[in-house]
Amino acid sequence: MEAVTGWWDDYFWGSVIVLQVFVCSLILMVLFGLIGAAAKLSNNRFAQKLAAGYTVAFRGTPEILVILLLYFGSAITLTAIAQVFDPEVKFVDLSPFWSGTLAIGLIVGSYATETFRGAFLGVKPGSIEAARALGMSNFQTFVYVRIPEMWRLALPSFGNHMLSLIKDTALISIIGLNETLFVAKQAIGTTGKPFTMYIVVGCVYLGFSTVITLTVMWLEKYGNKHMESAR
Amino acid sequence: MTNIAPAASPETLIQMKSVNKYFGNFQALKNINLEVKKGEKIVVCGPSGSGKSTMIRCINRLEEHTDGHIIIDGNELTDKVKDINAIRREVGMVFQSFNLFPHMTILKNLMLAQRLVRKTSKAEARETAMHFLERVKIPEQADKYPVQLSGGQQQRVAIARALCMKPEIILFDEPTSALDPEMINEVLEVMTDLAKEGMTMVCVTHEMGFARSVADRVIFMDAGEIVEEAEPEDFFLNPQNERTQKFLSQILTH
Ligand SMILES: Nc1ncnc2c1ncn2[C@@H]1O[C@H](COP(=O)(O)OP(=O)(O)O)[C@@H](O)[C@H]1O
Ligand SMILES: [Mg+2]
Repeated sequence: MEAVTGWWDDYFWGSVIVLQVFVCSLILMVLFGLIGAAAKLSNNRFAQKLAAGYTVAFRGTPEILVILLLYFGSAITLTAIAQVFDPEVKFVDLSPFWSGTLAIGLIVGSYATETFRGAFLGVKPGSIEAARALGMSNFQTFVYVRIPEMWRLALPSFGNHMLSLIKDTALISIIGLNETLFVAKQAIGTTGKPFTMYIVVGCVYLGFSTVITLTVMWLEKYGNKHMESAR
Repeated sequence: MTNIAPAASPETLIQMKSVNKYFGNFQALKNINLEVKKGEKIVVCGPSGSGKSTMIRCINRLEEHTDGHIIIDGNELTDKVKDINAIRREVGMVFQSFNLFPHMTILKNLMLAQRLVRKTSKAEARETAMHFLERVKIPEQADKYPVQLSGGQQQRVAIARALCMKPEIILFDEPTSALDPEMINEVLEVMTDLAKEGMTMVCVTHEMGFARSVADRVIFMDAGEIVEEAEPEDFFLNPQNERTQKFLSQILTH
């Protein structure tokens, strides 16, 4: 273990990056998932097709490929655009952090689209009619009835999506994001102790996923307290 | 809001004139004409699929009628959304399957629309909610969730929720059909009390005892039409139409 000693602070900052990527991609994932679900449930043919294309494409390609394509694709595009304005520019890219975060947000968002769609469909039409009949507007009905009922239905799958997100951050090391796996590779280069260094990474990820799992369990318990029958 | 010069007396709360309703090619309502005055209690009956629900759902625009006019308290139902929400808060509705919000306590169920639609203060909404929970005789259930209540209790909560909005009219769509027999009476009692206090009510129900004791008029529907409309006495003892006679003979022998 003494091989690790000099690397603790690198691992620490790597973990902070994992956490940052997780939080940002989580927000994007919810956003893409809600937009995708709304599009799929809308009456607009074009929106439906677009959302269907999105879920097929992102669920059907390897995640690591999406990360690579998005990073290099955006770099090529941005460089081309920049060269129009200033021919001296050699290379412009979206930072590994943001292109990686965007990539996994899009990937897991495509799964969340299906989860949210199913959950919205699972809300009993009776509650929605009751809200309408009481004179509540569509927006009020959405915020106070649809969302609170749908998140409970979505929660179990949503927990899995969060686990996917945290694990996918490791993939972003491939485009040079200095998260824990990236740190481990550097550490191995100087110490020649791959097993030890990877075990540390494993523990970091296991720690994060345990916290997520416990949070989801607590939320499920909280969300379903109305289901406990009277004693 | 469009103010249609009322053809009937100013006391008319619901007026349906030559209303037709299509679902695709299927005509669910055929030339419906109905007038309900303030304080009147109307019972609507008829076989399953005859358009009873569709008719009362058109009154608060949960369904849109295809043509004809529906005028609620002087305001015609058109597709302007603002008007609709203003009208809906004057027209309470009680559903067959209660339709309480499952994620909220009973008290919150009663307070939500008061706060959002009537913009009442929290304290006032709570006070009104407790007042009506007492009226339906279950104030002690205020902090429970809907699943923790029996069907009869849930339906009484649903009635209280409608009353909290202080509506001019309450529509009931088979309020006791989903209940176990021993719970039917507790709901009918609450409805009878309401009727005695002068609430304007349109009730789709097959509870003929309730119709006899409470209704000013009974309406019989079949295949999307109003076939017969009469005072309860005449309706039960002396039905004019063959279809009404057949229907009554079927439900009264049970
Ligand atoms: N949303 C709908 N789409 C298509 N048909 C419908 C819809 N709602 C009701 N109907 C049809 O309209 C007819 C009347 O239904 P309804 O008003 O529910 O009858 P009742 O309440 O008298 O049993 C039925 O034949 C029913 O199948
Ligand atoms: Mg019905």
